Amino acid sequence: MSAPDGSGAPARSVDPPLDPRGVRSAAGLTTVVLALVLVSGSGWLAAAQALVFALGAFAGMRFAPYGVLYRLAVAPRLGPPAEREEAAPVRFSQTVGFLFAAVGALGYLSGLTVLGIVATAFALVAAFLNAAFGFCLGCEMYGLLARARAARA
Amino acid sequence: MSGTGLVVLIAVLVAATALGLVLRARNGRVRTPSGAGSPDGWALTGSAPEGAEQVLLLQLSSPVCTPCRQTAGVLGELAAGEPGVRHVEIDVADRPDVARALSVMRTPTTIGFDRTGRELLRVSGVPRRAELAAALAPELRGRPA
Repeated sequence: MSAPDGSGAPARSVDPPLDPRGVRSAAGLTTVVLALVLVSGSGWLAAAQALVFALGAFAGMRFAPYGVLYRLAVAPRLGPPAEREEAAPVRFSQTVGFLFAAVGALGYLSGLTVLGIVATAFALVAAFLNAAFGFCLGCEMYGLLARARAARA
Repeated sequence: MSGTGLVVLIAVLVAATALGLVLRARNGRVRTPSGAGSPDGWALTGSAPEGAEQVLLLQLSSPVCTPCRQTAGVLGELAAGEPGVRHVEIDVADRPDVARALSVMRTPTTIGFDRTGRELLRVSGVPRRAELAAALAPELRGRPA
């Protein structure tokens, strides 16, 4: 896909873009919840986080609970963002987060505690990197996958 | 309360902090090529230097990528203010061959080529404007058109 100006530059997403401060706040909240999962060993808390990921991943980022919380409680005090972020890679990273949190929840709840710990730890690394450094692992994966798909087409 | 969980939590936070610091240190940094030279960026994109152009900044982007947009802004401004610089952005989804020829995995990656097509530098992530301008300065001053 080329830009209308014919420069060969990528066409930009048509999904409603996101406030990057909201994305990072959500990652911060996710980090706290996943840390609590590790410390408490609670499969149900992991399941709740999996549900939070699932809403963003499958219903859309508009329905992502931490994003809703940010828009209602925080955004009105901050003013509009200086720039916005494409939604599709973030949504994809929610899908990856969902898989890890769901496996973690199943691990804890079925007694496979090691599986629960390992899956939760991986999800925590990704959430922490996003919250603390603004580095989105899932978005990097999205870029690589999009390329692989295009190369095969 | 899980003792193992607490130990894992601390280990994960330490490891992720180290990883984050490494990623942040590398992101947007100008690197100069080591070892075998890469193919000519002008030829790969079917272009040639015109007039005063001394440097090609070839930006490899992917379709939905916020830092690619920011990179395009930085490089576009640099090229607008410096007649010796040409900025070309390509989509790796359209041209996977270019990404492969230049061994580019991440987007955005920016590669600078001199007039003869030799690779001068490479930046992964959004380039730091001042650092990039400083790295290009000798090339732009050294050889008048």
